[in-house]
Amino acid sequence: MNAAIPILTLGGLAAFFALLSIITASIVGPRRYNRAKLDAYECGIEPTPQPIGGGKFPVKYYLTAMLFIVFDIEIVFLYPWAVSFDQLGMFGFIEMVSFIVTLLAVYAYVWRRGGLEWD
Amino acid sequence: MTPNYYIVLSALLFTIGAVGVLVRRNAIVLFMCVELMLNATNLALVTFARVHGNLDGQVMAFFVMVVAAAEVVVGLAIIVTIFRSRRSASVDEASLLKY
Amino acid sequence: MNGLIALVPIPTPNMDLGQIAPLEIVFGAALISVLVEAFVRREGRRRVQLVLVFASLIAAVAALVGLAGTRTLTAQASVAVDGPALFMQGTVLLLAIVGALLIAERSIDPAGDAFAPRASALPGGREERELTAAGWSQTEVWPLFLFCVGGMLLFPASNDLLTMFVALEVLSLPLYLLAGLARRRRLLSQEASLKYFLLGAFSSAFFLFGTAMLYGFAGTFSLGGIADALSGNAGDNGLVMLGVALLAVGLLFKVAAVPFHQWTPDVYQGAPTPITAFMATCVKVAAFGALLRVMYVALGGVRWDWQPMLWIIAIITMLVGVIVAIAQTDIKRMLAYSSIAHAGFILLGVIAVSEAGIASTMFYLAAYGFATLGAFAVVSLVRDSSGEATHLSQWAGLGKRSPVVAGIFTLFLLAFAGIPLTSGFTSKFAVFSAAIAGGATPVVIVAVFASVISAFFYARIIVLMFFAEPAEEGPRVVLPSAFTALALAIGVAVTVLLGVLPQPLLNLAQQAGIFLR
Repeated sequence: MNAAIPILTLGGLAAFFALLSIITASIVGPRRYNRAKLDAYECGIEPTPQPIGGGKFPVKYYLTAMLFIVFDIEIVFLYPWAVSFDQLGMFGFIEMVSFIVTLLAVYAYVWRRGGLEWD
Repeated sequence: MTPNYYIVLSALLFTIGAVGVLVRRNAIVLFMCVELMLNATNLALVTFARVHGNLDGQVMAFFVMVVAAAEVVVGLAIIVTIFRSRRSASVDEASLLKY
Repeated sequence: MNGLIALVPIPTPNMDLGQIAPLEIVFGAALISVLVEAFVRREGRRRVQLVLVFASLIAAVAALVGLAGTRTLTAQASVAVDGPALFMQGTVLLLAIVGALLIAERSIDPAGDAFAPRASALPGGREERELTAAGWSQTEVWPLFLFCVGGMLLFPASNDLLTMFVALEVLSLPLYLLAGLARRRRLLSQEASLKYFLLGAFSSAFFLFGTAMLYGFAGTFSLGGIADALSGNAGDNGLVMLGVALLAVGLLFKVAAVPFHQWTPDVYQGAPTPITAFMATCVKVAAFGALLRVMYVALGGVRWDWQPMLWIIAIITMLVGVIVAIAQTDIKRMLAYSSIAHAGFILLGVIAVSEAGIASTMFYLAAYGFATLGAFAVVSLVRDSSGEATHLSQWAGLGKRSPVVAGIFTLFLLAFAGIPLTSGFTSKFAVFSAAIAGGATPVVIVAVFASVISAFFYARIIVLMFFAEPAEEGPRVVLPSAFTALALAIGVAVTVLLGVLPQPLLNLAQQAGIFLR
């Protein structure tokens, strides 16, 4: 039973964080509904009944998708590190921090240059 | 299960990708073929890691995945830019530079 | 918490941070450069970036000088700090400084620097015209440039195939983007970028599969480990042969050897000229560094298998390069084919498989690099109203209009042709004699023949510039700012100096010409 405690704790923490974010967002966040927000979400492309004439080519979607891919894939390095965190010790920790800081610099660039804004 | 099957599968996938690059004409499809080649390599790396009983091959596979992602981003950026200025992703139409 | 598995601490890897100081400086500066793009206001960015780039490159040279004479493996034996690595890194850094001078130039084009004001704006569209009128410039060129230089420093020093693959991608990916950023003829530039990217990604997939095969054979990625595995084996192994061939394809693509050269003329023509200059020199140095290291350190034991292959590739590279160059009507394409031919000459040093081969290759790369940078700098100066005048017919009579610029270009062409008292003669002589000592006399005979043909088309341009009548509405030669002027002066000085007084650099190359295993 002892072995299950960390897992249960982690599950509890995850559920708590999920609920907290949803509740906070609904209390704090501004609500400005428009047509796009109420539409069904289909990979960023116009929902299936396309406007006549084909519609426009959504470049914005590609930008978001690219950013997602780059930041998402970097996580593969976190898994092996997390698995052997205890064994790697301080050196592993410092290496991982410098890796994350590198990613943060790029994130700062994307954020400051408007890569995260949809319009 | 002998590892040879995995190596043969990997070589087949790699060849399919390479032939695809040579015969297809759409930049996006070319690009997917290159990705297929990289993933075929990953299969070979992981199989060899199992054969040799060390982890080097698996570590390399991680690096290949990350590099492939970076390549996707750079490649899509270039292809989307070309698409916007020409409304087409065919590599044949991109032919201002003659051979 | 009681662990289920006994945890054995993994020992801290040996990592002497001082021994890879040049890499740290350049990559650190690249990261800061990204942050500058994020947080400095647009008006101030160019100035901050220029200070950062030149300061970091010069600091890296200083760090490199401090490392001179070091012979060690560091970072868990994944990076070699030895003579060839340091020499190649020094060459890359010095060439990159001159290349950065060309990239920084912005008084040649009336609209600003050589790069599009915004890469995503439609070519010829309203947005582009407005941005050009407002004097925008794309300072993202600098972080891309620094990452690229960092990759080039790591590439010839990587002591295992994993590091080498990552370095290859770090130097390639920024170049794909830089090739597509030209201000003028943007469609051409974007197309060059696409071609370079698709073929580059294709070739790195080959490099990678070759790596996988060698790993399958040896069970390790380290170059020394592969050499050990080979020496314990008769060498008669399908995996090894496949691995060597595929690995060589990836590396020969980067050095633009025939038959992996198709991208070169297109990319050289389409890319912005300062980027072409940077690409034609630094990529070649880094890629030859990596090729030498793989072939000598890891695959020296099977040299009888790869030497004949490289003989043939060297011969067809030289011949195709010089023969196709004769038919070119565009000066940038002509220089591209000439660079292909030079890749063939440099391969002579590789197939020598000796210390003299390493030393002569390194000397050739340095001499060729400075002359090429200078030649492309001259190309960027000859312009008409639509941008650079690259058609050969427009260069007719340039010597009458601007004797100084035509004279400088003539010097570089003479160096390419290998005329005595220029750096080209010394370097050709060095690789030829190394190849003869290495038993490749037939290849050297072809090389001499190719040199004669190449002298013909270089001479044709000199005749065209000095003895043809200038066209009525010909291009004019723009007076550059101090950046390009300095780059040209360095190019001329090095080309003459290495021709008249080559011995100090030759000695240095000979002292540095031993790989560490």
